[in-house]
Amino acid sequence: MRRLAAVDAGAAALGLFTGQKATDALALAPELTLADADPEADARALRALADWCARFSPAVAMDPPDGLFLDITGVDHLWGGEAAMMDDFVGRLAKDGLPVRAAVAGSPGAAWALAHFGQGRIVASDAEPLWPLPVAALRLSPADATQIARLGLRSIGALAALPRDQLGRRFGPDVMRRLDQALGRGGEALAFRRPPNPWFARAAFAEPISVPEDLARACGDIVERLCARLEAEGRGARRFDLAFHRLDGAAEPLTVGLALPGRDPAAVTRLFLPLLERVDPGFGIDAVTLGAREVETRAPSQADLHAEQGGRESLAPLVDRLTNRLGETAVWRAEAFPSHAPERATRRRPALSPPTNTGWDVARPRPLRLFPRPEPVEVVALVPDDPPVLFRWRGTAHRVRRAEGPERLGEEWWRRPFDRADPQKARDYYQVEDEAGARFWLFRVGLYDAAAPPKWWLHGLFG
Amino acid sequence: MSRAARLKAVRASLAILEGSAGRPTLPFGDARVDDRLPGGGLPLGRWHEAAGEGMEIETAAAASAFVAALATPLADRGEVVWIMRRDDLYAPGLAGLGFPAERLIQVCVRDETAALAALEDALGAPGVVAAIGEAESPDLIAGRRLQLACERHGATGFLIHRRLFGGETRGRGSAAATRWRIASAPSEPAPGEPGLGAPRWRVSLERCQGGRPGDWIMEKSDGPLSLRVVAELGDRQLDAPQPWRRLAG
Repeated sequence: MRRLAAVDAGAAALGLFTGQKATDALALAPELTLADADPEADARALRALADWCARFSPAVAMDPPDGLFLDITGVDHLWGGEAAMMDDFVGRLAKDGLPVRAAVAGSPGAAWALAHFGQGRIVASDAEPLWPLPVAALRLSPADATQIARLGLRSIGALAALPRDQLGRRFGPDVMRRLDQALGRGGEALAFRRPPNPWFARAAFAEPISVPEDLARACGDIVERLCARLEAEGRGARRFDLAFHRLDGAAEPLTVGLALPGRDPAAVTRLFLPLLERVDPGFGIDAVTLGAREVETRAPSQADLHAEQGGRESLAPLVDRLTNRLGETAVWRAEAFPSHAPERATRRRPALSPPTNTGWDVARPRPLRLFPRPEPVEVVALVPDDPPVLFRWRGTAHRVRRAEGPERLGEEWWRRPFDRADPQKARDYYQVEDEAGARFWLFRVGLYDAAAPPKWWLHGLFG
Repeated sequence: MSRAARLKAVRASLAILEGSAGRPTLPFGDARVDDRLPGGGLPLGRWHEAAGEGMEIETAAAASAFVAALATPLADRGEVVWIMRRDDLYAPGLAGLGFPAERLIQVCVRDETAALAALEDALGAPGVVAAIGEAESPDLIAGRRLQLACERHGATGFLIHRRLFGGETRGRGSAAATRWRIASAPSEPAPGEPGLGAPRWRVSLERCQGGRPGDWIMEKSDGPLSLRVVAELGDRQLDAPQPWRRLAG
């Protein structure tokens, strides 16, 4: 049976309501336009709206299916007060055709109650406006709400007037918690879509900008502003997120990373400049935000970057340029990983992180080129347990002149369920040299079995 | 003035003209090689090409081993950057050749242009003593840019010719200081010793600005230079009387 999931203002005026059977609704209003509910698209739209809200406050929490919390502590003065900020917020959304109910209050619970059940736009400085609201405004479970209503407690004021010990005993801790949250007596942890970031700078433009030179200048200005703050407090950041907010609400963040925490505005701007060509200004950009992440303490005096023996410091600009141009995973140092499977014996670590574990056992022969997947070879071996005398790889036959081995490497049975470990998976590695002197790293899988000839693979090349 | 002294004087004035006088070099420690190289060793602060043949064009294992051996003594003084398009360089293998793998920064790039750009960037960066790139031969302009990058901090560049999917490499004239062709050579373990001996390469110096080409068999050694000349092949001294023509090429 199809039911109405949501109704707009016009439909509500005709007497339709959420949860009504679709057939009943069509009987009441034959000209009704129905659209299938798409909760996933709704959730996506809410996420996009949460991202858009970052222009008002860096701390935005989602309240699915249709709500948002903005923590505006300390940012409302940028708009000239809470009321002006809310007017701007609602006005911008209304211009985009999005009906919205908003409220400003001292706690998330109170703001929720006023936004859902209050009349008009309310800026509440205390709990006073909450008293006449129905108890459903406390975000109670339906069972609790009907139970309270059945007892004749129709408003929050009536509920809050009851002695506290009775309240807890009669309705349980959940009601107590919700009441405390609404009245600002109990804390509430909001899951912010972005953790509130104190390292945040924002610039709005009187006229929308779109020319690449303007974008570059705006980028330079805002980077300089945030870096000056980092400098003043002796900090450096490893990640910078720059977002250009378009008139239509889209804001694709650009991110650059530094290998060492930094705050040199020129260097950070240089990393952003090549990314700016990816920005599509659309009809114009009216605000830009910059956030710094992974902020760390950094010594105030900076050594000369161009010192010849600078060590890590002097390499940082190169690593940053390469990482930002080629990707986070494209620049690394290899370090030893304690595993005897050759393909797992190295691990990547960031190019500038201090070494933790280097050094492989150089007594064991290891190839210079290790194939990501071993390649099958056809082999002629005189005795099953001997290295081959002839093998064919990529269509070329190689006659083996000398060989060394085997080195038996067992399967790492602890990486899979115990009962699936198989001694037949052991590999016998041979280092062989063909007549031209080229050296190959071959292995045979499994132990000798007269019925099934073993398989041979080429895993790498020595120089 | 004797003939030898006159030759020496002419060489010195040539070196001044070329601007290579007083440039640091990396000697091989063997007169059979060093005599053919300008200044008595591999010129540092320049860039060098190394190529293989046949399957080696695709895998570039022998050329990489040779270049790693050349870069090993340099790695004491700074970091080495290795730029590749296919991430199959295996650090334990480098460590086995005596190369200090903890001084190596590996960079994986998507295409040829990015490889040359990253190589140029790495060569010009402070703290980098050598940069090794795997790419096809660059044209003259790209080669000249590599040379300018080398001169900024005296880093030494190595370009290993590699085509990921095989085929002929383009043999183009380039601005490299030297061009080497590397092939594996059969090892010869000491009599009575089982298994494989130290790896050997057939090393041809095909082109050298201000020097003469040559052919050698070299072997990996445990000494500080990690390469030892086993034998000199042929004698090109007679058939290459006009080094100035090579300079122009």
